[in-house]
Amino acid sequence: MNKTISSQICRAAEFESLASFRELIDATCTGRAGLDENTVYDLKLAVDEACTNIITHGYAGKNPGSIILNMNVSENQIAITITDFGHQFEPVEGLAPDVQAGLEEDRLAGGFGLYFIYQTMDKVQYETTEDGNRLTLIKRLSVLEEEEQ
Amino acid sequence: MSVELDSKHFDQMTVISIAGSIDALTAAAVTKYFKQELEGGHPRIVVDLSGVDFMSSAGLRALLAALKQSRQMSGDLCLAAAKPGVERVLKMSGFTSILRTYTTVDEAMAHFG
Repeated sequence: MNKTISSQICRAAEFESLASFRELIDATCTGRAGLDENTVYDLKLAVDEACTNIITHGYAGKNPGSIILNMNVSENQIAITITDFGHQFEPVEGLAPDVQAGLEEDRLAGGFGLYFIYQTMDKVQYETTEDGNRLTLIKRLSVLEEEEQ
Repeated sequence: MSVELDSKHFDQMTVISIAGSIDALTAAAVTKYFKQELEGGHPRIVVDLSGVDFMSSAGLRALLAALKQSRQMSGDLCLAAAKPGVERVLKMSGFTSILRTYTTVDEAMAHFG
């Protein structure tokens, strides 16, 4: 029977902190039964994209603040909560970016970040409270196993 | 984690090897490196991704900018030896439909050979 593992870090809301968030995910998942390489990559990708949005948009025009990353790994799911104290910036699900258009037109395709978050996670929740903005990402491990069969 | 880039110039192509992570912090350095190679007269590029452990959407934008510039210069850019996680990002984004990807660097080099 697996036990729940929890971990949490607080880092400055700057791009230099992105590696620390990914390292926490690696450290928390290492050796954990049932967590394959793809699952760990998905978690790192979703967190990286979400934190990049917070740094770029959430704290835009404000003094650099903090991001708190909390991670709970249980037998059936992984829940990651990202808390920030910047502007409200809800990551809304959108259509897949048109990479072909990005290649042909005189602009760079954007929107990959939000698309990746929703493609890799099973549930995405956002709420704003007096205590900050809280984004919760859920990855269900049982769903993954069913997909792989 | 930072990013390291190296290039080797051959008659028909340039092989650019990337190692480390390509995220919002490091993507600007990747973009600048490719721009310098392209403007230095090397529009036919094989990107060796075997040393890349992590790539986010910021990395995709850097590669897309390099791909566009290389084709505008009548060259091309292809990717080689991506690890499973990076390959997943390339497939999810649709990048595999707009450029060639190869399992090994040798196979990619043959594309220009």
